[in-house]
Amino acid sequence: MKTFSLNKGLGALWYPLILSLYFSVTPTYSNNTYRHKLSIQQQIQISGKITDGTTPLSGVSISVKGQPKTAFSDFDGKYTISAAPDDILIFTYLGFRTLTIPVAGRSVINVVMQENATSLQEVKINAGYYSVKNSHSTGSISKITSKSIETQPVTNILATMQGRMAGVSITQTTGVPGGGFEIKIRGQNSIRPDANAPLYVIDGVPYSSDPIGYNQTSTTFPTVTSPLNSINPATIESIEVLKDADATSIYGSRGANGVVLITTKKGKAGKTAVNIKATTGVGTVTKFMKLMNTEQYLAMRRQAFINDGITSYPSYAYDVNGTWDQNRYTDWQEEFLGGTAQINDFQGTLSGGSDKTQFLLSSTYHTESTVFPGDFIYKKGGAQFNMNHRSEDNKFKFNFSTGYNIQDNDQPAFDLTPSARYLAPNAPAVYDDAGNLNWENGTWQNPLRYLAATFQSKTNDLASSAVLSYELFPNVVLKSNFGFTDLRHTETRTAPSTVYNPAYHLTSAYSSVYVNNTERQSWIVEPQINWEKELGRGKIGALFGGTFQNQNTTRLYQFANGFTSNSLIYDLASASTVRVLYSDNTLYKYQAFFGRINYNWNQKYILNLTGRRDGSSRFGPDKQFANFGAIGMAWLFSKENFLKENTWLSFGKLRASYGTTGNDQIGDYQFLNTYASSGVLYDSNVGLQPSRLFNPDFGWEVNKKLEAALETGFLQDRIFLTAAWYQNHSSNQLVGVPLSGTTGFQTLQANLDATVENTGWELTLRTVNFSSQNFNWTTNLNLTLAQNKLLRFPGLEASSYNQQYRIGEPLNIKLLYQYTGIDPQTGVCQFADTNNDGTISFPEDKQTVADLNPQYFGGLQNQLTYQHWKLDFLFQFVKQENYNYSVGIPGQMSNQPIRMIDSWQQAGDNATQQIYTTGYNDAAVTANYLYTDSTGGITDASFIRLKNIALSYDVPLNTKNVRCQLILQSQNLLTFSKYKDGDPEFISSGYLPPLKIITAGMQLTF
Amino acid sequence: MKTIHNTTFYMHYFLQMFLFASTFLCMTSCDSFVEVDLPKSQLTNVAVFDNYATADAALTDIYAKIRDQGLLTGMTSGLSNQLANYTDELICYGSPGDPALPFYLNTLLPANTSITDYWNISYNQIYAANAVIEGVEESDKLTVEEKDQLKGEALFIRALIHFYLTNLYGDLPYITATDYQKNNVAKKITVSEVYTNVISDLDSAINLLAQDYDNPERIRPNRFVAKALLARVYLYNGAWAEASNAASAVLNATDLYGLEDNIDGVFLKDSKETIWQLQPATSGKNTDEANSFIFFSGPPPLVALTDNLMDSFSTADLRKSNWTAAITDGSSTWYHPFKYKEFDYTATSVEYSIVFRLAEQYLIRAEARAQQGDLIGAKEDLNKIRERAGLDETTASSQQEIMEAILQERRWELFTEYGHRFFDLKRFGQIDAVLSLTKTGWNTTDRLFPLPQNELSINPNLRPQNSGY
Repeated sequence: MKTFSLNKGLGALWYPLILSLYFSVTPTYSNNTYRHKLSIQQQIQISGKITDGTTPLSGVSISVKGQPKTAFSDFDGKYTISAAPDDILIFTYLGFRTLTIPVAGRSVINVVMQENATSLQEVKINAGYYSVKNSHSTGSISKITSKSIETQPVTNILATMQGRMAGVSITQTTGVPGGGFEIKIRGQNSIRPDANAPLYVIDGVPYSSDPIGYNQTSTTFPTVTSPLNSINPATIESIEVLKDADATSIYGSRGANGVVLITTKKGKAGKTAVNIKATTGVGTVTKFMKLMNTEQYLAMRRQAFINDGITSYPSYAYDVNGTWDQNRYTDWQEEFLGGTAQINDFQGTLSGGSDKTQFLLSSTYHTESTVFPGDFIYKKGGAQFNMNHRSEDNKFKFNFSTGYNIQDNDQPAFDLTPSARYLAPNAPAVYDDAGNLNWENGTWQNPLRYLAATFQSKTNDLASSAVLSYELFPNVVLKSNFGFTDLRHTETRTAPSTVYNPAYHLTSAYSSVYVNNTERQSWIVEPQINWEKELGRGKIGALFGGTFQNQNTTRLYQFANGFTSNSLIYDLASASTVRVLYSDNTLYKYQAFFGRINYNWNQKYILNLTGRRDGSSRFGPDKQFANFGAIGMAWLFSKENFLKENTWLSFGKLRASYGTTGNDQIGDYQFLNTYASSGVLYDSNVGLQPSRLFNPDFGWEVNKKLEAALETGFLQDRIFLTAAWYQNHSSNQLVGVPLSGTTGFQTLQANLDATVENTGWELTLRTVNFSSQNFNWTTNLNLTLAQNKLLRFPGLEASSYNQQYRIGEPLNIKLLYQYTGIDPQTGVCQFADTNNDGTISFPEDKQTVADLNPQYFGGLQNQLTYQHWKLDFLFQFVKQENYNYSVGIPGQMSNQPIRMIDSWQQAGDNATQQIYTTGYNDAAVTANYLYTDSTGGITDASFIRLKNIALSYDVPLNTKNVRCQLILQSQNLLTFSKYKDGDPEFISSGYLPPLKIITAGMQLTF
Repeated sequence: MKTIHNTTFYMHYFLQMFLFASTFLCMTSCDSFVEVDLPKSQLTNVAVFDNYATADAALTDIYAKIRDQGLLTGMTSGLSNQLANYTDELICYGSPGDPALPFYLNTLLPANTSITDYWNISYNQIYAANAVIEGVEESDKLTVEEKDQLKGEALFIRALIHFYLTNLYGDLPYITATDYQKNNVAKKITVSEVYTNVISDLDSAINLLAQDYDNPERIRPNRFVAKALLARVYLYNGAWAEASNAASAVLNATDLYGLEDNIDGVFLKDSKETIWQLQPATSGKNTDEANSFIFFSGPPPLVALTDNLMDSFSTADLRKSNWTAAITDGSSTWYHPFKYKEFDYTATSVEYSIVFRLAEQYLIRAEARAQQGDLIGAKEDLNKIRERAGLDETTASSQQEIMEAILQERRWELFTEYGHRFFDLKRFGQIDAVLSLTKTGWNTTDRLFPLPQNELSINPNLRPQNSGY
């Protein structure tokens, strides 16, 4: 049995073998025809053209009622199909009303199809292991399609979802290309902040979102590099987000934080079509902070010295003591962040195929420079191939997709944003007259030294999947997914000797480089069997399957220094010292059995049962397996007799679900008590260090989800409203419990007997405001009101979390001092002494709760088409609070927000800001420190943003063979916010805000 | 017919494949699929102490950590730089955000990252030492000699780190085991209780450690290193006789130690004066201290010696001429510590970071003797140090004068070494008088660091905060 075990590596060999056997038998089979079933009726050839009134529709499916025959319209909208004169043709096309037209002896039938809101009910929703008609879905699934993705000039898939999905909160963490986004689907479930990532699945293959960067190399970003940047939005057909138990339980242990299903574009039958899209544009920072100018700044500094009773400026106070020119003024934000990023994007697609076999080949290339000074560039390119095949009798189906993406990123090693904010406005010029970096005799750390220190990363990512299915008996389909991913990532961060002050006289012997190599391979096999049967007026369906997944991650972190020349810095062989800081190979294995039983009675009552038994290598012996399951129900009350005759309600569905999911995002091997190499040498030994405090007994985190929703369509679905209420409880919390430093470590992995609740309302409203041949206008609104609450935490008072959480409050709270204003006598900030002990003490007085979760958020999207014009725009809105940007102590040598000019100067002053100090006024220093941790440090960071606006124009051309579209797109064009310290969208402050991007381009199809 | 055959054939194949795949998957679908072997880069804690080489690597890693981070590193984050900034030895020229500034400006707060790092890193080093002690005790594969050496060194490390911690933070827990459940709620004990534990650990270490160095480069503690620390511990405790005896034990080991006649030889790797030093990370690398202090043009990028210190040296003092260096830009002159002179890499390393050296033992004994009234003995020891520095014998005669001279001598001899100045001023009761002259807003409570804010939140047993914060 051991010899057959998948984990011996041999197992993987079987899959290509099985695959090749499939291939080898397919061609012999494709000769099969229906000849033996020839109709006795005479067949005539019917042809025609399908349009939407103006433009031809390609890929419309034309079938003959009661027969398996299907044809598709080609690129010109033309089709041919053979049918008997009294047959009935059915025309179906996604997003359009299905037409049923009797042949009535004609041989030419031209068709105008109408886009119809009613079709919303017909939209197929991908639920992962199965797909379901929107109207029959029992779960909560949000979807966006390529239509909305293509209007956005962005490179990250999470960016494409921002503001478009109810319940999905996405925050961009930096504007530097290649940086990350934070996503929370229905709030934070796990107390561990890094265990709230959803499961990503691309064409059926899980795609690990575990970071691939290393904190010593990904220094440009607030978080280490994420692999999600590799996914190319241009290749995506649709993104579905599974949110409730009904939809996520089938993903068991990995469904707790929701599931993001990504479906790539597939080939379409019809004429071989070429599509070329080229765009170019610019990006700039959305919003700068308002800072002091030289005059205001120096006034502050001088006053600070006066306040401190210092009459002669110390020798190191270069800004005020005359060392630096006091008439200089540089807007450092403009200087360091005020550049314009150039963005170029090219996409080419070739697609086509026959009724039985279709293909798609696409390729993209994208470059993006930065707003920083210097030549930095982010490049991304890739290719995607898809092939679809069905056998003649439609019993055998085969789908193969593969995508390969390369990213090449070159950025300064450190974000210049903090320097741009704190640097004294009269600090020296960055370059001297000769054009060299100016160190002004070593009196400052020239921030542009970081331009010589670079961060470079290269990511190659392959994701492949194949789905084979065969209809064994009528209604019984055998199916298996095979997937393989291979990611290779190399990241370096250099510190050449030129980044140091020349006063140190450092040579290239002091240059150093950090190198991170991460490789991750995974394979997955998921055999499934699917059965469906009509039972009277009902329909029953069942699905059973298994998952075997293996993921291998290799990481190698190295440090090298001492080079003979700075130009050899990337060559480890030229280094005098090379140290391996970390070298590891981690294996993650995952196994599951899953099933679904669905019963649909008369398309009115639907019951959906899903379940999964999961095992994960991330847990210790006896803790590896767990069961998860859910029940979902729907009642399509609009189909009831008492509502059948009404004219206003076109659709009505009530659905509810309840079930469990789990979370195993805990890292590998955490249950082992081990020593690992520290990579550091002493006395000829490479050291061994204790890896962690170990706990072999931790187990699964359990997440229980409850949801109820009402979906209604009015006036033939021209108004479609969905209101969902959910309540999720996460318990048995798996956390790195913060420990006192006296334990030798700061955390320990353990299950905490605490429960976190996420509840919320999600509303989506789609209205077709206007619909005619020439003018269409639809509006989509989504709104999420979410609340996060710590329900239970036995022993919180005595635990190490006692100053972090409060029962009944959200996880993302801050406990703060209560700021009460400035003492008019001393000019120092005052705080509420809540325990009346005469001093501001910790923790007693630091108990005011501030909730940093968004109170509500959403998006309002409008799509307008008028003849050849199309306009699409999205407003994103978030109601939230966040920290003010804090730049040290006002009066010290760092610039301050302009609001700081209103500082207290003498007794009796009624100022908004406290007394300036250079650091000698103990009371003011302490108060400033308390202030940043007080209610005074928190402010309204709500915003409304014109997230996306896209205008396109179809150029009317004489030829029918070419379609030409002109495109104008913009991201983050306008931002409305009361937040004063730069852009209000951030997780940790001091990083480049999201960019405002404007691009123009052209798309040709022929 | 052929098509039907094909269909059957195909179906047959598909079925066969599917059954094959399912059987095969079912065979592997027992629990063993999700069991994984130990990662290649890790050893279980038991395996580490099954063999001397790995057990030794677990111990030497602690020295590497002491060298590279925390209290005793020679990098700018270590005490040598930060306490010199905190007292009257260095002036700080760092840019805003430089971790040295809160020390220099006397604006240390409970959330200061240096304060938190010292604490966490130190207890991590103590944890590693305790893990070695426990691992060695449970091992049945190591020999008695191996066990004694490993345990002796680990006990010494535990004592050393706790000694520095209690001098910086005051009352705190003394951690002697790896059990996190207990350590997480560890209770503070008083400084004098900490000292009792330090002395007990050092006594055990002295019994376990050999007289000779395990490595002739003196990079691993032997019995005398533990004695040298013990001498200092007794001195700080006012146990004058014991301090004097412990220092004598070291000073009398003349086959191992002796003062370097040439002042330029003191900080070299093979100095006879060295009791214990830390080996640099790689061959050819020299000390972090040199990198922290030396600069080549003014104004200084980080720190320079204070005028106060420079002016206190007499012109004849070789330590002024040889252990400091002047840098001028034409109009102004600055001085940097120049005890360690090798800034760059050399073919083989020429300087290691010296943690304990003989000169301090003379000064310990001088002070202990003076305190006991043995003024002649005290002067004798003091003059040894003065003589080597090219100075005449001390003119101090009364006990108080001699004590004053010893404090002054320690300042000249031990400047920018592991915060001696700070501890000396505290011990001599002069810290408020001296530092309130140079530090605006100096408070007597500033003689202790604040306890890290985060620690107070997590472990209520550490409350209250040290007074003044």
